[in-house]
Amino acid sequence: MTPWEALRRVLRYAAPFRARFAVKLAMLLASLLPLVLIPWPGKIVIDHVIEGVPVDPATYPFFIRPFTELLIGATPLGILAWTAALQIALLLLVGAFGSSAREQDQADAVLAGGHDTQTRTENEANSGFSLAGGLFGWIDFRFTIRLTQDLNHYYRASLFERIHALPMTAFDDESIGDAVYRVMIDTPSITSATHRILLTPIGAPASIAVAATAMAFTVANQPGLVIAALAMIPVSLLASLPFAARMRSRSLASRAAGSVTTSTAEEGLSQVLAVQSLGASRPQRDHFDRDSWSSFGAYRAVVRTSMAAFLLGFVPGSIIVGWAIMHAADLVITGTVTRGDFLVIFAYFVQATIAAITLGALWFDLQGASAGLERVFFLMDQPSDGDAPNARALPALRSGVRFDAVGYRYPDGTSALEDVSFEARVGELTAVVGPAGSGKTTLAHLCARFLPPTSGSVSYDDVDANACTIDSLRANIAYVFQETFLFDGSIEDNLRLVAPDASEAQLHHALEQARATEFIERLPDGLRTRIGRGGSQLSVGQRQRLAIARALIHDAKILILDEPTSALDPDTEAALVQSLREAGRDRLVLVVAHRLSTIRAADQILFLEDGRLLERGTHAELLVRPGGAYRRFVEQSHSAAS
Amino acid sequence: MAAAERASGAHPATDADGDRLSARAVLHVLVRCIRVLGTARGHLIALCVGFAALALALLWPSLLFLDLFWTRALQGEALPAVQAALLGLDPAVAVNVPSLSIAVRRSVAVRTVIGGVAITAVALPLFFALWYYQIWILQRVNQSLRVEMLDRLQALSLRFHSEARVGDAIYRLTQDSAMVTQLVDVMLLTPLSAIGTFIYAFAITTALDPRMALLLAAAWIPALLLGRAFSAPLRRDFRRARETNAALTAQIQEVVAGIRVLKAYGAEARAQTRFEAASREAFDAAFRARSRFAIYAIALFAGVGLVLVAGAAWGAFASRDEATVFATRLFAATGVVTWSLGVFQFFKDRFGDGSNSVRRLFRTWAKVQDVAVGLDRVFEILDEVPEVQDAESAHDLDGVRRGIAFRDVEFNYRENRPALSHVAFEAPIGAITAVVGPTGAGKSTLLALALRLFDPDRGAVTIDDVDVRALRIASLRRHVAIALQENLLFGTTIRENIRYAVPDASDAAVRAAARVACADEFIEKLPLGYDTPLGERGTKLSTGQRQRLSIARAVLKDTPVLLLDEPTASLDVETERRVLANLHAWGKGRAILLVTHRLSTVRQADQIAVIEAGRVVEVGTHDALLTRAGGSYRRLVETEASSAHDAETA
Repeated sequence: MTPWEALRRVLRYAAPFRARFAVKLAMLLASLLPLVLIPWPGKIVIDHVIEGVPVDPATYPFFIRPFTELLIGATPLGILAWTAALQIALLLLVGAFGSSAREQDQADAVLAGGHDTQTRTENEANSGFSLAGGLFGWIDFRFTIRLTQDLNHYYRASLFERIHALPMTAFDDESIGDAVYRVMIDTPSITSATHRILLTPIGAPASIAVAATAMAFTVANQPGLVIAALAMIPVSLLASLPFAARMRSRSLASRAAGSVTTSTAEEGLSQVLAVQSLGASRPQRDHFDRDSWSSFGAYRAVVRTSMAAFLLGFVPGSIIVGWAIMHAADLVITGTVTRGDFLVIFAYFVQATIAAITLGALWFDLQGASAGLERVFFLMDQPSDGDAPNARALPALRSGVRFDAVGYRYPDGTSALEDVSFEARVGELTAVVGPAGSGKTTLAHLCARFLPPTSGSVSYDDVDANACTIDSLRANIAYVFQETFLFDGSIEDNLRLVAPDASEAQLHHALEQARATEFIERLPDGLRTRIGRGGSQLSVGQRQRLAIARALIHDAKILILDEPTSALDPDTEAALVQSLREAGRDRLVLVVAHRLSTIRAADQILFLEDGRLLERGTHAELLVRPGGAYRRFVEQSHSAAS
Repeated sequence: MAAAERASGAHPATDADGDRLSARAVLHVLVRCIRVLGTARGHLIALCVGFAALALALLWPSLLFLDLFWTRALQGEALPAVQAALLGLDPAVAVNVPSLSIAVRRSVAVRTVIGGVAITAVALPLFFALWYYQIWILQRVNQSLRVEMLDRLQALSLRFHSEARVGDAIYRLTQDSAMVTQLVDVMLLTPLSAIGTFIYAFAITTALDPRMALLLAAAWIPALLLGRAFSAPLRRDFRRARETNAALTAQIQEVVAGIRVLKAYGAEARAQTRFEAASREAFDAAFRARSRFAIYAIALFAGVGLVLVAGAAWGAFASRDEATVFATRLFAATGVVTWSLGVFQFFKDRFGDGSNSVRRLFRTWAKVQDVAVGLDRVFEILDEVPEVQDAESAHDLDGVRRGIAFRDVEFNYRENRPALSHVAFEAPIGAITAVVGPTGAGKSTLLALALRLFDPDRGAVTIDDVDVRALRIASLRRHVAIALQENLLFGTTIRENIRYAVPDASDAAVRAAARVACADEFIEKLPLGYDTPLGERGTKLSTGQRQRLSIARAVLKDTPVLLLDEPTASLDVETERRVLANLHAWGKGRAILLVTHRLSTVRQADQIAVIEAGRVVEVGTHDALLTRAGGSYRRLVETEASSAHDAETA
């Protein structure tokens, strides 16, 4: 994605907010106008109070003339009182009453950040700003912060939605910490880029124009100062341009390093059991120490780039500003303008210069933001689970699932399954058997359409999976993963996640079938017992049964279980297999299993080895094949057990 | 979360609205952080000296240039001899004249501007260098706080982690801890420079007119009133903003961690709704906090601005009257005796600086509330006392000679949820001890006690008759390795995962350990072999493969005690047989404690302990236990044997 494309995309996303951006722009332009007024009280005081020059409204530009007319014939004290009144009015309305920085306020709420990219984004995400202070600034600020937040929320929500839509296996490779970083830390940079793109190109020239106009009213025929200010546009552009590419790459590196740090912390804390029990606190700490320090280093590289760009621009910039000061001073020395005018002129010059620098540095400033933007769009552009254009909803499965010459290759080219064909029917229990790494889980994933096959086809009731909407397929499938994942919350929360409307009786029935009632009854709060992060307050066997109950309550036609009983004792397992057979009367059940007791109960056994379907049949059929792979498998199990 | 509840008890200054810090407590939090800053003391002193030197060096030229530019160039007054000499001007045309000619004024202006640019050109890089130095120092301070927090988090027991949210900890580690970088600014630089500026301005104003100095001091009144009224509500808002953002972070982490389940059950829409609600809540909290901050800043500016308007008017009036300045002698060197335009500009700048410094100080005070709330959240973690700690007299373990023993151990995860009671047996060196029993019987808990992930409520776990609580935890864990039931792998290469606990292990040692675990065979088949990167949590491999990596990781630690929790649950029978045979050979002279359901595994053990409902009901060899009529073990064997038998005959 080129920077230009990225920017166009930013604008496309901002489209729903265009009315609000228009209002913001209008307020931005409006906030420039009081800036015209604020240098005048200082000039009036100097000229008419300190120096005692009589007031002549004709020498004043039209916008301040009405005010000066009030001053005709006033005593110095009277003039002071009037100007003070004007200043106080300006102070309350727009928070500015003079041309020095001490006399100007700009409403914002920038809070403290740290010294790395990550900790500076909270301000970006909640950026509210106004060129004015006072009442106007307050209104402008509130409007802007809400606009920023809403735009941010929109990005966050879209990105989060996108994460859901990624294929099931996307997070096998992506780290969780990275996703957290992208949603929380990278999205705000898009908002700040949007503000810059939409506001600067209009706001900055307007600011220059207002300053130049006001200046023209102050001293006629002095285009030199305006030209000097305008000259700052190419100066800041040319000084920053050589650093733009570097800024971009360093910002990206800083974000990448921050995301790695987040991931390291996330992994270590999520898997603190491994860290503690392996006595690996030290290595884990060192790991985090390294990652965190390198993310700080990456941020310093960003700072260095900004400083270098600034220093490069300083040389020509200071010559221009120096010339402008001397030029304005010369006007005073030669008596063209008063010393009071000098202040006014110079204030306008500074205003125009700052706007010019901002405009010239726009491209450079966008580079820092574009790094975050690139990371967000990268995730948004990942291929996602999407429905084919003519996909239709699959009703509840009636007959079964068919695999036709199905193969699956990983993106890196390694083959996981090759040429697998079979049919599994509703009302039957199909067991998938084979040595570790033979492709059993991949087959189960393909059956649940978590993965699309890279060759061949999977069809449901003779409808190709591609022709079915994903939602309708998922509604047909209940899946028990090999490694159970439970959410923190109560047992009931975990069940209701998949069946929000299930009745109490249905919950109990599912738990009964999963042989989970017995241990839940012993818990002090029963169904409402909080099970801790990842269900860590339960044993692995208890978690497995809860995951099975969750699948059963989902009440889908296809029930797929990937080694559901590995942590169960033989008694519990035998009872569970019985339940599965009951549940399987009107369902298609596919079980990946090692245990003979489970396999034996199957109506059909698929024996896989090295990604190929070697044998297929009932237990009895396969056992009689002399030298058959399944027979060998049973013999091994038998000899081991007796 | 538990941390918040517990820590809040330690601070009495909690009110019902969630502001648990009083203004005093804010200062207390900041003072506590001085310890953290202490690690960078030398650098910080150097930095302050640098900044002070630069500021002092610039003070005199800036005063000089202002006078040269305004009074001499623009107003045309004659230069004092010193100034003329400095600018290299002929005293004949610059000093001993009633007023300067246009040409001289021009050349004064030119020289002043060139001088100003030259000085800035020197000062700016110096300033940048100091600034960069400051960033580096503060990053180091932040880094040490982060690492200290992570250390503490890792030392906290699983009970803590079971209740705590990962995302919240991440937020505290990064966002909250970053507030430490602000300490130097908010406690040292800003107050020093603001108060210094104020005192200087106050002194100058007093020298010009003491009554005006009183007016300047009046700027404190609105500032103090506003500061007092806003501090507590701001703290409450800032805390809420941090909490909601941490909760949002936690939610993202949890959803992505469980994404497979959400997708498999089509629960994405509900997760999205919850996420959007949490995101809104976080933004709303930030909006409230920042709006309050903005209105405070606006009001502060108005209050202080009024003083400034009044002061400037007063100064202008004095200048018009050319009133005599108060401390005539003080200004004699610059030749100032009465108020003039130049004096007015100078006064106005100083008066503005003075009133502005009050504003700066109180604006910072409002920011400090957020900094303190952030750091308070850091201390909530640091104040959390690990349940399992080294005793003061703890000593190192020097090898294991006899074995590990459980002596009448009782353990409850929480009240009314007994996990183990009266567990007593030994796992001697040179033997494989198998622990069997139904799921939920407390088998994994037993292993956790051996590693001191928890301490027993009663009884003791001993190694060579020494209570493990008398040993240093790090030393204990160096002598005991475990292969966990959940195969927790990390998002790095296979090699790094195997040597995770022993980072400096050689490649040969890694390979040897992988061979014991029968992992070598599948690793070699991968295109990148040992350098194959695993996805986060190792999700690229099958469970059976990950299980073997877990075993290899434990074997590599080469410890006298090895704990295996269901090491072969996901392995096929053939691979399981080979892994166990390897472990048998490797385990000579070690104590191996093995939790399993599989009979095929149990049979290879030298000793079997049967656990039921948290109690050891039988201990003995396979043969001895089989002969017990009605024994638990016997029943277990019969169940599995019958299924195998059915399989054979079917």
